[in-house]
Amino acid sequence: MRRVILLDNEAVQALADPAHPKHRRAVSHTQVAVSRKARAIPVSIAVPTAVRVEAGWDRTAPGWAFLNRLRIADIVLDRSHADAAAALRTRTRVSVADAHLGAAIQAADQVTVVTSDPADMRLVAGGKPVVVVVL
Amino acid sequence: MVDEQVIDRINELLDSVDPETVNTSMRIPSALRDAAALAVSELEVAPSTTVLTANALRAALEAAVMQAVLDRHYEEYPESRPTLADLAIAAAEIDGHPLADDPGLLIRSAAEVQQRHPEAGPEDVLLWAEARATAAA
Repeated sequence: MRRVILLDNEAVQALADPAHPKHRRAVSHTQVAVSRKARAIPVSIAVPTAVRVEAGWDRTAPGWAFLNRLRIADIVLDRSHADAAAALRTRTRVSVADAHLGAAIQAADQVTVVTSDPADMRLVAGGKPVVVVVL
Repeated sequence: MVDEQVIDRINELLDSVDPETVNTSMRIPSALRDAAALAVSELEVAPSTTVLTANALRAALEAAVMQAVLDRHYEEYPESRPTLADLAIAAAEIDGHPLADDPGLLIRSAAEVQQRHPEAGPEDVLLWAEARATAAA
């Protein structure tokens, strides 16, 4: 079963900026995922597009080249994710980005979320089993 | 150091949605071809040997290009390179392993494992730490 590692805004910022105090920690999770992928263990790293908006991650901007080259996939806010995120936001009053993270968590098989806000992640996960890594 | 343009070109090709296919003259061991055919027909690992081969090649290329990106980053920012202990903690956290809550044990275990096995990986450290925790219980 494929594990997807989701990044929240803080995780994106930490991974993107070598001067960020949590940069090496964010790189560690990426390195583990890449090493597992090299051993044919199914794992991917992804970011919901609403998180990308919150983080200011513009894939066309040169400043984001490092993250772009790491093949971190977009989870697009399509119709089903928008519906799920809207329902979550109505119910929990979390941010749009966190609601999209919640929709992505609920749609995944095995999921780990790297976040600075574990309480909100558990809230949006609902009853879905999720591994929460506090950055 | 791998050229950024090479990395970008490989990524561009991997992201391509061009449905065009090509016959290649790639030579593979016939036993491997037969094993793949058998795995497809009897184990249903993929719809066809072509899909099986393409998926495996894609996964290997993705891992290789991502590692090349990280290696470039470590050369430019040496302080960003994780230690074995960092990796062991990250591996435990990703899996939700109970030892993720005991980073001190993982740091000590990484130091012990690395002393005797400099090429050890984070999963080796986790195994050693788990054995130590079990023995101490």
